[in-house]
Amino acid sequence: MSASSERPSVTLIADRPGPGAARPYRFPQVVRRSVAGGEVVAAHLPGQNLAVAMLLLDAGAGREPVGREGLGGVLAKALEEGTTQRDATAYALAIEALGTELVTGLDWDTFQASVQVPVGRLGAAVELLAEAVRTPRLDPDDVRRVRDDEVTALRMDWANPGPRADAALRADLFGAGNRWGRPMYGDPDSVAGLDVEDVTVFHSEWFIRPGTLVVAGDLDRLDLDALAATAFAGTGGGPVDRGAPIDVPVRAGRRIILVDRPGSVQSTLRLGHPGPHRAHPDHVPIALAGTVLGGAFTSRLNHLIREVRGYTYGIRGDFGSSRRFGRFAVSSGVQTAVTAPALVEAVGEIARTQAGGVTEDELAVARSWRAGQLSVELQSPRAIAGALSTLVVHDLPDDYHARLREELLAAEVAQVSAAAETHLRPESLTLVVEGDAAVIRDELVATGLGELVDHPPAG
Amino acid sequence: MPDSGYPWPISTTRLDNGLRVVVSEDRTAPAVAVNLWYDVGSRHEPTGQTGFAHLFEHLMFEGSTHVAKTEHMKLVQGAGGSLNATTNPDRTNYFETVPAEHLELALWLEADRMGGLVPALTQETLDNQRDVVKNERRQRYENVRYGDAWLRLLPLLYPPGHPYHHATIGSMADLNAADLATFQAFHQTYYAPNNAVLTVVGDTTVDEVVTLAEKYFGGIPPRPEIPPAPDGRVVPATGVPVEETVVTDVPAPRVYVAHRTHPFGSPGYDVVTVLATVLGSGRGSRLYQRLADGERIAQPDLVGAYGVDLAHAPAPLIATATARPGVSGERLAAGLAEVVDELATVPVTAAELDRAKALLTTAWWRQMSTVDGRADALSRYATQFGDPATLAERLPAWLAVTAEQIAEVAADTLAADNRATLTYLPEENQ
Repeated sequence: MSASSERPSVTLIADRPGPGAARPYRFPQVVRRSVAGGEVVAAHLPGQNLAVAMLLLDAGAGREPVGREGLGGVLAKALEEGTTQRDATAYALAIEALGTELVTGLDWDTFQASVQVPVGRLGAAVELLAEAVRTPRLDPDDVRRVRDDEVTALRMDWANPGPRADAALRADLFGAGNRWGRPMYGDPDSVAGLDVEDVTVFHSEWFIRPGTLVVAGDLDRLDLDALAATAFAGTGGGPVDRGAPIDVPVRAGRRIILVDRPGSVQSTLRLGHPGPHRAHPDHVPIALAGTVLGGAFTSRLNHLIREVRGYTYGIRGDFGSSRRFGRFAVSSGVQTAVTAPALVEAVGEIARTQAGGVTEDELAVARSWRAGQLSVELQSPRAIAGALSTLVVHDLPDDYHARLREELLAAEVAQVSAAAETHLRPESLTLVVEGDAAVIRDELVATGLGELVDHPPAG
Repeated sequence: MPDSGYPWPISTTRLDNGLRVVVSEDRTAPAVAVNLWYDVGSRHEPTGQTGFAHLFEHLMFEGSTHVAKTEHMKLVQGAGGSLNATTNPDRTNYFETVPAEHLELALWLEADRMGGLVPALTQETLDNQRDVVKNERRQRYENVRYGDAWLRLLPLLYPPGHPYHHATIGSMADLNAADLATFQAFHQTYYAPNNAVLTVVGDTTVDEVVTLAEKYFGGIPPRPEIPPAPDGRVVPATGVPVEETVVTDVPAPRVYVAHRTHPFGSPGYDVVTVLATVLGSGRGSRLYQRLADGERIAQPDLVGAYGVDLAHAPAPLIATATARPGVSGERLAAGLAEVVDELATVPVTAAELDRAKALLTTAWWRQMSTVDGRADALSRYATQFGDPATLAERLPAWLAVTAEQIAEVAADTLAADNRATLTYLPEENQ
């Protein structure tokens, strides 16, 4: 025990307590069924008042034709503009009267539509979910209006720092000639170029296949067969080949891409290179290497750039992956005056991690953090539904989360350092800087990090 | 209709030093949420010291008597935990959720920074975190379109000297002027056990928590006199609408209509909560139906209304809309004002009321679906209303709100002569 000076009578316990007896980790019981041509994957959450149902369709951004980026997003909005049974207002009032909105989401691999309601209302909510997804009205005037609104929304978003830098990085990593080299949600121009037929054809091609219904809730109070029968009614067509992983070439040398943002008080940094796809056998050590370098508040990048240098409010980096491709990326916003040193130090830290690997101390934090997060973060029905969707999209077994926990805890320094050495490519980084070019250009050139190219201004 | 919004046990114990310890046992998952509310926020900041409560929150992660600089985050994350802290006008909260076997570690860390921050606080740490906060200000408020709306609305709603007049993030000038002695004094003044509530929810027992709290926090003495914040409960109506127009680099006109209503926790604010949902939550709301769908003058994704849950003065209700291309700021402002005005004149229908209550019910159970959501709510009710169990009354209170009450509150608090309107216009409109 010790006493501090400012309040003479303060008594604090000096010794840091160790952990108590570990509680066994358990992921909720998973139930799988095939019903009415579709698949159901559910998790039992006894006593939980809320329930979530999420319909997963193989209709992610990867299914959009090149030049039609943003199609899924427009269709998602159009689903709520009325169904064959009722108009948009009646639909909104019906679903919101149950206590939920129709939540739609899109990533490279899937389209998701979900509802979240008190458990007794899940059946009615799934009926409305299915009504919108399977039988939307898609009136041409509505579709055009939704498209125009989406263009406006994207213009609003693209007026903020970030989207242009993200697009520049993605195009440089994956090639703007490929769908996966273009923004996941499209850009204002690609969406403006969509017509009604694009939307109706995409719907008939991808939205009336059964897909998978994910349910998280108290299964004692839910009838999975009835939910599935509702979700899969009137559907047809089987699964479609999802394509093999794509071999993405890595750049021979580093380059800086400068995206001008006159008057910006911060520079937005997006650094990256291509990385492994999700099913790569090194997935766990890669994730841990990413965590040590940039995935946690205590990671190397955040420690150096935020805590030691005070250049930023935050910086993070990770390996992200989908079924067919992946990337390593770092993102931050740094004050304009320190753009060049922040960039140099970030690249230096990536190079140091690639060359020198991780330490046991760092790995100890990373592995217990990632493992502990499974019990800490997977509590709500929404979070559990998300975890179930990972099982579905990546063809993983029921005990995946329990096994993942074991693998994380067993990972060794040599293994994680080897993953860093193999999968980090500091010499191949694309360094996108979105900021006030007039102020930062010369300093960026002087860093010698790589040739500087100017990104064309936003259309 | 549920009888209670909180069907879990709640136990409250007060230690000899005044620390209130709230425990709610739930063995569903092997995790515990630890949550501390300190009854100090930006409302306590005097002129010239804006942003200090929030900057102080950052310093609480930078080490204390037995915890080295940067070790706090490392220990919690190394235990598998999630952690953060937030500051608002009312209070400062600190929280972590950890696997249940690390409960004792979390309590040790919280006690060490409650009782032993000052000896570890250095000029270097202050300078570094001041830079981080200035970067936070740039990132969240200055470098984002419309990002300073909240900073502009507060002084329109609350007069100089009112505890809510200035924003929690503070001014760059005040942050630059902050010196070490002021922060040492800040800790000694407000970070006392009798000015805090400790809540633990999850896989533990009341006995375990109280024993550990006594062990780790018991040696921290209370502070006899903690200076209150200025009283802001009465804000004289000026009888004159306030308007501010900002012409700047934004992509489209946007309007905020704001009113002072009732303090969070009061019956009036329960009505405001339901009213805000009728007005601006979801596609079935009045704002969406009238402005995004009906007249089609507002962008559908950017129309809404919400109350800001502040408890120490009449809390703001804010309604906002952003213009569709070709729609002027003036037309949008008139449309928005009209829908707000009609809350007093066009009765809320049973369907509108049911819709709002259903959405609020889901939102309630969503917060209650995690141990950390429950812990934060219990800390709030213990801190602001003296009894965490009163939390259970909120959902039933919302569900009991009537259309007549909404019309009444709208007539009393949403009148045009008691309104603040903030309009952003793109530069080419000038």
